[in-house]
Formats: sequence, structure tokens, C-alpha cells
Amino acid sequence: MSEPGNAPLQAQEGEGAPVLSCVGLAKRFGQRSAVDGVGFEVSPGEIYGLLGPNGAGKTTTIKMICGLLDADAGSVRICGRPLAELSVRSLVGYVPQDIALYPDLSARENLAFLGRLYGLRGRLLDERIAEALELTELSDRGKDRVDAYSGGMRRRLNIAAGLLHHPVLLVLDEPTVGVDPQSRHAILERVRSFGASGMAVVYTTHYMEEADRVCDRVGIIDHGRLIAEGTKRELVEALGEKDRIDLVATGDLRALAAASRAVPGVERAAEADGRVHVVAGDGRSVLPALVEAVESSGVTLNSVEVAEADLESVFLHLTGTALRE
Amino acid sequence: MKSALAVAGTSLLRVSKDRRALLFLIVLPVVVILIIGATVRGFSTIRVGVVDLGSGAAGRSLVSAMEGSSNLEVQRYPTLAAATTAVSRGEAATAVVLPRGMDAALRAGRSADVAVLANQSNTTQQAAAAAVGSVVAKEGARVQAAYFASSRALGTYEADLRAAASLQRSTPQSRVLSRVVDASSQTLPEGFSYSAPTMLVLFVFVNALASGAVIIETRRLGLYERMAAAPIRRAAIVLGETLAYFLVALTQATLIVGIGALAFGVSWGNPPAAAALVILWALVGAGAGVLSGTLFRTPEQAGAIGPPVGIVLAMLGGCMWPLSIVSSFMRELGHATPQAWAVDAWTDLMSRGGTLGSIAPKLGILAAFAAGLLLLSTLRLGKVVARR
Repeated sequence: MSEPGNAPLQAQEGEGAPVLSCVGLAKRFGQRSAVDGVGFEVSPGEIYGLLGPNGAGKTTTIKMICGLLDADAGSVRICGRPLAELSVRSLVGYVPQDIALYPDLSARENLAFLGRLYGLRGRLLDERIAEALELTELSDRGKDRVDAYSGGMRRRLNIAAGLLHHPVLLVLDEPTVGVDPQSRHAILERVRSFGASGMAVVYTTHYMEEADRVCDRVGIIDHGRLIAEGTKRELVEALGEKDRIDLVATGDLRALAAASRAVPGVERAAEADGRVHVVAGDGRSVLPALVEAVESSGVTLNSVEVAEADLESVFLHLTGTALRE
Repeated sequence: MKSALAVAGTSLLRVSKDRRALLFLIVLPVVVILIIGATVRGFSTIRVGVVDLGSGAAGRSLVSAMEGSSNLEVQRYPTLAAATTAVSRGEAATAVVLPRGMDAALRAGRSADVAVLANQSNTTQQAAAAAVGSVVAKEGARVQAAYFASSRALGTYEADLRAAASLQRSTPQSRVLSRVVDASSQTLPEGFSYSAPTMLVLFVFVNALASGAVIIETRRLGLYERMAAAPIRRAAIVLGETLAYFLVALTQATLIVGIGALAFGVSWGNPPAAAALVILWALVGAGAGVLSGTLFRTPEQAGAIGPPVGIVLAMLGGCMWPLSIVSSFMRELGHATPQAWAVDAWTDLMSRGGTLGSIAPKLGILAAFAAGLLLLSTLRLGKVVARR
């Protein structure tokens, strides 16, 4: 019999299997297909990034992994055990996108409540609360009400609540939304340390630089389908070296994107966040023609940034859209 | 079960920290009980119509005696037809007809018939006629004494009548102090004994409806989703939330009972029966509260719509005025609400010395209301928690 809330001991029952194995996951909401045949595996200590724009199917996939949504087809296994077993959920730490905490309770009271749902009681619960608060650098604010916390502190506490029961798989659904750069940096560093400690992590985001920074492997999801998967190097190599040119401009950016696509050598162009992202095999050679395209489209060019191929350009290449669209 | 207790415990912890909730749970009910208890009286006063057809001094004396009675309110009517109409409309519980020549007849030693108009099938009017009869009998005793004395040449009739009245006032009498426990009482006792049980019924229900906002807020915060990701059954979440609502309603009802008894001297009647009634009403409140949390979309809706709905049901159910004074249609309509059955049960306990056995039918109906509300609300909350 395993100690309550001590997930690693329970995980040994499925030793040798990947921590998370999703096969052919599918989910429809009425006529709309939200997830269609998604499958991937995550190993111990691996940080897996699930990338995609809003509405791509990331959160639906996450909810099926955590047992919050029943899949119409496919299966989820945690350490080789089917998710249908209620006890398997104690192997998973779920950190939702929303700050799912009672604002009128203190951090300790919130953690005590959530810990009890995972079978933690008494001294063990107290120890885990202290540990989770320390891990997220909130020990000195544990008695404060959550509504007195800053946005970044709430995010960290939200993560702490998912760690109380020592899960073998931590599922983080866009954990840095709405936080300041300093807090984001702290959260990303912490996520990296979770992976280094042997915990498997599924991390969804639409911030490509975050995925670049913390994820060992990424899966790119769009329109409910997993369209590519691998390490950053694998994905860039598979698609060929491409340069990315960002045209920061004011005016009709859609027209600029259309004009850019007409330039010989440009493979893709899309506008997002007040700029036009252009993918080209040789960025420098197409730059003069791009500048002419800017002039012909009537926009005011503020700056031009040329970058080597990265996950952003991989995404652009695969989906034809910028990630934040 | 431990998980359900964790959910319930956390909800109760939140209530205990919410000063606004404590205001509505304890302070406001007590203030309203105090105000209504101190101001609303008179449901047991009987309005008596009087038609004087020329009775003379004896008739005026009788009217004066009725006006002096604490439970009679005299209303004069010019004609017999007007008094009859008033009684048939319920504007007066009964009417007394003072005959022409009454005084002269009494002086001459003849009898004078004082007619009392009342509907045979109406128990309230029968009670009113009995109350009037008591006053007439008392006045009659004075008249007989005066006639006796004057007929024996011991003075004039007027002087002997005054002497008889004076003697009647000064003669020690066996006083009977009675509580209102007669089987025919249709209302709760007056004062705080009226306001405390009715406000218990009103506030437990209204507070439960308003606190449906807590469920809505929990859902919006994403906490049900977070709870559902834990290795617990969703039924435990539903059970825990419902248990919290029940305990809040039970605590509020118990506090009102305790404060009513200790601060206002309210006698709540047979203790086991009162306890059963309080528990059942808390279950009705819990069902209504959880249902409110699943019907409304925003906490603001629950806070704005819930209390007015609860107050309307309380009005229909007899929390603001006794259903015995409203029309039969409104009385029947009122009994479509659980409030009416709860107030009826309190009336049984507090005005008629009711027991667990005598209020069992009303408890049964309240249990049916509670079961229906709890079934519906837990099914709906189950859907909210699941969202699969």
C-alpha cells in the first residue's frame, strides 16, 4: 500500500513505461472537432511543449490527459496505467490556466484544502505545504490571503498547488499568462528544475520563446491535429534552414503580408502583433525586394529584424500563420 | 467521505471569514426579529360590529364594556344591513345588535335579547361570538345585581348599578392566566413569538438563495475543475458542497432559535418536534441554495434575484402575515410553498402545544420539498462539476 500523496512510490507499478502515453486522442464538441487523433509520449525528466495558437486544441488535450474530459476516441496511460483508474490521478499534478485558488483564503489554507483532496493529512500535509511554498519562494507569505498577492505570486502558488502530492507528471496549461517578465523568468527556471529532478512535464504555451527555452521536445498542434513533433533541432533540420524576417511597420499589415508573399524567394508571410513575419531561404537576398514591397503597399516601415530559423519559423512554415494569431 | 468533508470544511471556513455573510446570517435576522416583534401585534384582536337600534344607557354600558376588553375592537354600524354585510365580507368577525328599549326592559325586570351575528361554519366568527358573549354575561351580572337591590328598595336602579359595578371591580376574583394553546388558534403568538419563527423561515431560505453565489464563484474560479482532477469521485464534491450549505442553514436556524429563546423569551414548543422542524428546514434551505448556485450564471444574479424570490415566497407562505387572514385562494396558493408548511408547523408547536406526532404530516410535506430540491440541485451541481 502506497503512502497517500506519495506519487513516485505508486508510479513504480508502471515502471519501464513512459510517464505519459497518449494514443489517437479525439474529442468533438457537436459538429466541431477540437482534437483529432493526437498522440505523443513523455518520458521521465522530459519537458514536453505543446504549442499552438488559441483554439488549436491544447487545452482540450490537456483536459483529457488530466481526466477532466472524456475522450471520444483514443487512450491516455500514466506510467502504463489507464486513466480510468481513479488512483492514477494522484500521479498527475494539474496546473490550470486560470488561477484556481480561493482568493479569500490564505496560501496555506488553499494548499491544505487541495492537499487533502490528494489524501494528504496531518504532519505529512504540513511538510508538503511548507515544501511547496519554499519551492515557489512564497514561504514568508503563506499566511496572507491570496487576493493580497501580486499576479506573479498567484501564478507561482497555482503551480505550488499542483506539486503538493509529488506527481510524476506535471501538466502546466499556459502557466505564464499575464505575468511580468521577472516572474516569468522565475517560473521558467522552476519548470526546468522540475525536469532536472526527474519529473515529466507537459507545458502548453503560445509563447514560442518559452518553448525554445524550457522544452526538451515540442509537439505543434493546429486545428486539433499534431502536425509536427521533435526537438527544436529536429524540427528546424526537417524543414530546412530558413531565415525569418520581421517587418515592424504601421499601416495595412495584411496588404504588406500579401505583397511580401509575392516577393521571389519568400516562402511564407503573415501578420501578427503589429509586424509581418516572413520566412525565406536566404533572408538577406530577399531583403531589397521586401523593402520595395513595403513601399508599394503604402505602410511605414519602422524596423527590420532578421533572425535565424527557430520554432517560430517552424510553426509559420507548418501552419502558414504566426503563433499568436 | 474525507474528501467531502474537506470540501465542506473549506466552504465553511470561507463563510466564517466573510463578514458580510455573518451580517446576513446573524445580525440582520436578529434586528428584523426585534423590529417586527416589537411592532406587529393585533392578529388576535377581534373586530366586533355594533348596531345600536336605540338601546339606551344599558346598551352604551355594554358597548363601553366591550371597548374595555383587550381582545375586542368595536366598530359601529348605522343599520343592521350594514353590519350584516360587514360580517359576511369578513370586515368584522361578528356583530352585536342592541335592541330598541333595552335599558327600559332591564329596568322593568324584563329580559332583553342581544343578537350576535356570526357564521356557523366559521370558527373565527364562532370564537368572536363567544368573546362577545363573555362580555355580555359580565354586564348582565351587574344588571341583575342592580335590579335585585333596587327591587328590595335598597336604592335607585342607577345607584345600585353603579354600586354593583364598583363591587364587581373590587371583589377579589380568581384570575386564570392562560397561554394561547387552544386548538382553534390559527396564528402564532404575538410579538417576538411571532417574528422569531417566521423570520427563521424567511432568512434561512433567503440566505441560502443568495449564497448560491458561492457555487457560481467556485465554478468561475476553475476550482471545481481543479477538484475534479484529484483522485476523488465527483459525488464527493457535490456531497461536500451540499453538506456545507446544510450546515450553514442549520447554524443560522439554531442561532435564531437560541437568540429567540434567550434574548426574547420565545418558547419554541416541544423540543424534539422543534429540532426536527429546524433540521428539515435547513435541508430545504440547502437544496434551494445549491439549486440557486446552478441556475444563475453570475454571483451578481444570485445576489440580486435570489433574495427577492425568497421574500415573495415568504410573503405567500405566511412569514409576513398569518395566512388565516387572507382569502382561501391565497391560502391555498401559499401552501404551494414550503414556507407555509413550516409556518403552519411552528403555529402547531407554539400556539397549540403540538408534538412531533401532531406536526408529522407537515414535516412529511417539508421532507418531500427538501428531497425534491436536493435531488434536483445535486443533479445539476453534478453536471457543473463534471462538464465532461
